[in-house]
Amino acid sequence: MQSIKQAPAPRRGLSLFGFLDRHFLVTAAWPSLIIMLGITLIPFIVTIGLAFTNYDLVQFGKWHFIGLDNFSQLMADPQMPVIVFNTAYLVIGTTVADTVVGLGLAILMEASFRGVGFFRTLYLLPIMTAPIIVALTWRAMFNDNAGWINYFLSLAHLPQPTWLGDPILAMPTVIISDMWTGVCFQAVLLLAGLLAVSHELKEAAVTDGANRWQVFRHVTLPSIRPILFVAVLLKAIDEFRKFEGIQILTTGGPGIASTTLNLQIYDTGLFYDQVGYAASYGVLMVGMIAVTAVAIWFFLGRSR
Amino acid sequence: MRPSRRIGVLRVGLLTAGLVIVAIPFVWILLTAFKFQVDAASIPPEIFSPFTWTNFEKVFQGPYLQSLGNSVIITVGTTIATLVVGVPAGYAIARGRFFGRRFLAGFLLFSRMVPPVIFIIPLFLFFHELGLIDSFVGLILAYLSGLLPFTIWLCASYFSDIPLELEDAARVDGCSRFQAFLRVALPLAIPGVVIVGLLIAIAAWSEYFIPLLLAGPYTTPATVGLVDFVGVDSINWGAMAAAALALAVPVFFVTLLAQRGLLRGLTAGAVKG
Repeated sequence: MQSIKQAPAPRRGLSLFGFLDRHFLVTAAWPSLIIMLGITLIPFIVTIGLAFTNYDLVQFGKWHFIGLDNFSQLMADPQMPVIVFNTAYLVIGTTVADTVVGLGLAILMEASFRGVGFFRTLYLLPIMTAPIIVALTWRAMFNDNAGWINYFLSLAHLPQPTWLGDPILAMPTVIISDMWTGVCFQAVLLLAGLLAVSHELKEAAVTDGANRWQVFRHVTLPSIRPILFVAVLLKAIDEFRKFEGIQILTTGGPGIASTTLNLQIYDTGLFYDQVGYAASYGVLMVGMIAVTAVAIWFFLGRSR
Repeated sequence: MRPSRRIGVLRVGLLTAGLVIVAIPFVWILLTAFKFQVDAASIPPEIFSPFTWTNFEKVFQGPYLQSLGNSVIITVGTTIATLVVGVPAGYAIARGRFFGRRFLAGFLLFSRMVPPVIFIIPLFLFFHELGLIDSFVGLILAYLSGLLPFTIWLCASYFSDIPLELEDAARVDGCSRFQAFLRVALPLAIPGVVIVGLLIAIAAWSEYFIPLLLAGPYTTPATVGLVDFVGVDSINWGAMAAAALALAVPVFFVTLLAQRGLLRGLTAGAVKG
């Protein structure tokens, strides 16, 4: 109790330090808030606003509000339904494929056996590799003539498709290359959930005569549902912003066969300089993300 | 439900087969980086070809070396800035009530949902006005848009694991709130903060989209510089692979050294969120 002699926390009412200390939590939090207002919220609002203008980067002095013109142009745009379809194709395709295969991988890594740490570590490496490296490497692997994939297929006397040049195959190619990292990512997240499932509960189910599948279906799956929800939500949201894996691999082509909203906004706004029109695509994208998040919450996130 | 021996063998077999698939692109990079340009583009591909260092000589003599330096500056700057601003904010979220808390917490979720392409066009216009295009300050600010919410979120989860009693005891002993944070809570949270720092550094090192738009000749990082090896009509795969190797190897070492912590950091956000 020696410390009782010391002065209590400084409370000099007028000094700046005393003020900051009494309001320490606010002082600690507000720099973050101000930065985030400046670099995300205000730009977000500006983008929504730009959707109602004819702003472009070539004659940016002469912009004015044009009401809903961008949106009526959007509705009449023959590319729009294709791009929305591609985006849904990518998001649903990768989320389902990555999560299902990732769950399988997580189940394989769940058991404790000698060397399991080795596998868990090595499956981290694709997640940590820069997406641009992944994209460039897969572009080389999928090359028609010089790529390894068609070379292996030729050794096995299988047909060798032009992966990146075929409108039907372009999106599946993007999804396959996405799985290389995505499966590992989902596996790492879901593994954490699997390892937290109560052993007593599983053994009780076995005692009651449940087989492996029943234990998985009725004990494990309900226990990991919260983390499954987060993993699926994060994956789906991340796929909306997927850039390198499309831009570098297929450049959105052939034609617009693998162009998603993310690429379309980038191309329209920053390549063709039609910022206002790009922003209306942005509003469409934000709406699509919101619908996706609500749908995932409805199927996986609701507490039952 | 003891796993039988047969299942054990099947498990290791499947995991090994998966690792082979994971390894193939890495093997391609490693082999291609040491090939002559002719061999790297040969049709049909040659898996093994004569060995050469020429790709590395080319990569480390050209502008790519400067872009690696830029990547280091951006990564270090972003990591420091994010931690200095984000760690106290994470503490504030974990520790109590203040004006703006609910807004900040909701905002973290919001900024996780909205993709960078939505922010980037206005940021480009603002930065153009402010002269922040092609500047390290501007790039670091833009990187914060994704990394700061992530940091605050993870740090909040680490701080809320630290018993409040410890800080209360320090306050009774005469510490100010700031001192209680700096001398009691922060040292206990350091292992978590280090992991957050590593994850931010890896993310900043790997970022491509933001610098593609906001960087310029003086600040181009290696991720953007890497694409310069992809010409309009021909790709120098050997040089590209050598450059990719230079970009990937540091991250590999960090991952292998800190794998346990990184695994925990990657999953903490999801488990608690």
